[in-house]
Amino acid sequence: MTLTQTCTIPAPRERLWDFLMDVPRVSKCLPGVERVEPAGENTYQGLFRVRLGPISIGLTGNVTIEEQSREGWRATLRADATDRKLGGGMRARARMTLDPAGEGATTLTVETDLTVLGKIGEFGQPIIRKKADALLQEFAQNIRNALTA
Amino acid sequence: MIPFEYRTPRTLDQALAHLREFGEDARPLAGGTALVLMMRQRLIRPACLVNIRGVAGLDRIEHANGTVEIGACATHRDVETSALVRARLPVLADTYHHVGTIRIRNVATVGGGLAHADPNQDAPVTLLALGARVRVRGPQGERQVALDDFFTDYYQTSLAAGELVAGVSVPVLGPRTGAAFLKFLPRTADDYGTVTAAASVTLDAAGERCEAARIALGCVGTTPVRAAAAEDLLRGQRLTDDLLRAAGDAANGGLDPIGDHRGSAAYKREMAAVFLGRAVRAAWARARASAADTR
Amino acid sequence: MSRVEAQPVLSIRLRVNGKDQAVRIPSYRTLLDCLRSDLGLTGSKEGCGVGVCGACTVLVDGKMISSCLYLAVMADGAEITTVEGLAADGRLHPVQQAFVDHGGFQCGICTPGQVVAAKALLDANPSPSEADIKDWMMGNLCRCTGYYQIIESIKHAAATSAAAGKPAAGGAAGRP
Repeated sequence: MTLTQTCTIPAPRERLWDFLMDVPRVSKCLPGVERVEPAGENTYQGLFRVRLGPISIGLTGNVTIEEQSREGWRATLRADATDRKLGGGMRARARMTLDPAGEGATTLTVETDLTVLGKIGEFGQPIIRKKADALLQEFAQNIRNALTA
Repeated sequence: MIPFEYRTPRTLDQALAHLREFGEDARPLAGGTALVLMMRQRLIRPACLVNIRGVAGLDRIEHANGTVEIGACATHRDVETSALVRARLPVLADTYHHVGTIRIRNVATVGGGLAHADPNQDAPVTLLALGARVRVRGPQGERQVALDDFFTDYYQTSLAAGELVAGVSVPVLGPRTGAAFLKFLPRTADDYGTVTAAASVTLDAAGERCEAARIALGCVGTTPVRAAAAEDLLRGQRLTDDLLRAAGDAANGGLDPIGDHRGSAAYKREMAAVFLGRAVRAAWARARASAADTR
Repeated sequence: MSRVEAQPVLSIRLRVNGKDQAVRIPSYRTLLDCLRSDLGLTGSKEGCGVGVCGACTVLVDGKMISSCLYLAVMADGAEITTVEGLAADGRLHPVQQAFVDHGGFQCGICTPGQVVAAKALLDANPSPSEADIKDWMMGNLCRCTGYYQIIESIKHAAATSAAAGKPAAGGAAGRP
């Protein structure tokens, strides 16, 4: 499924770009991320926990910066993670684009292609979509807050 | 399933102590139909199950001061067959009758059902239309919460850590009031509904216009929904086909159904409007009968 | 916060088909697995594992339940009736005999659940109408018979018991 989040960040593109490319720092903006450590060139490994009522999904895996173009103000992150206990996982590719939005502000668009595998997929797309949408919304808001502070 | 500790408290205080001991790794167990199912699917892995069926008095069904009090450990079957409920709140007995099969109803409890918070369940929809309140017990003592404020998300309630549902309080119908529950089941009889609708309608003194209405819909989002816009539309009006159609349309805005094998999101939206109208019509007819009785 | 270190094993007492049984089982053992594996009563079957099909139907204190969703520890101290407990004194229970006489089964996999559920019905309602039978038996699925012969068998069982002048209670576990 494809999820799109757009928000306006009161920061110029350069500052937002530097923030987004600092993966350990920007990962903290995604609710549920518990651990992010470097694991090679442009690759990080980590743990991400999401709850659905009493059900706790703990995803461990990698995040890789697949593509980045400061001139084009574009970057693509890829994430692969599994919850071995549950027997499921997810694969995501997030394309981020930064567009100017007036004086000292930037519109950040995140388009995520999300594939859910195994047991987690059995919850059904609509519930996953709702949850993912809510998480990405909070993600965008947290980036906003981090750069406004 | 993975191993877990098992506790059988005899009092609510003991139960709460066990929950406190294990923190969020403990779960209260009553009927266990949902819990054991999720554990077998490895969706949850509690370190401790606290069986509260041994706590005396938690399964009582009583009537006091115009309110039917149902204990958390009363089973669906208990409510369905209770002479007290059938006399004072027949719509509630009827609703619990619709759940699953007799095997499930013999075991699944009222409190467990509420705590499970599956938006496809039948009982919460009727309980919402009846203005029920949930009795919650925690380390701080007992508190009551309107069912309207109880469900917060898919499988989520406003229960704090260490709290459990002790029971539900349901007011009996007032004068000139009728209530109805409808379950649209195009698939098998033991399934969850495609949509469910419950309505309670109170008529004015002349028995002609709607004085107040409570309407709830199930299977239309991540929680059951009060159709407040539809309720507002009904107030002060006479019953007409156009009114019911408008009420159904008005409810649409608050719905965000999850499409699944019981129906697409669009189909559920459409059927929610239809069954809202039918539930209101049925409740209205019962309200008229009730008004005629008391004249 | 306490953690489970070792596998907790619990001792429970069940009265199964009139006989007292003491069992030691891990906490996660379902009643179905306990009956089949710990007590050798393999009559009850696991069909779906999610409480829907009814092949695992047993009676706990006279009430029919899905034993695949019921923890054995929950049944501590209870009276359990399984299909093995229906026949008595070398004679089939009226429900079982009716299923034999009226084609109530083909492959037989759902049959233990069907006859246990039917016995529970006749215990609760000795003269059920066809609607009563359908309503009660609704949760016991059958892939072979198309259900007509099951309903017929139950009607005959009720009639046979009525003709014999007694309710269709029977089996070692007695009435609920």
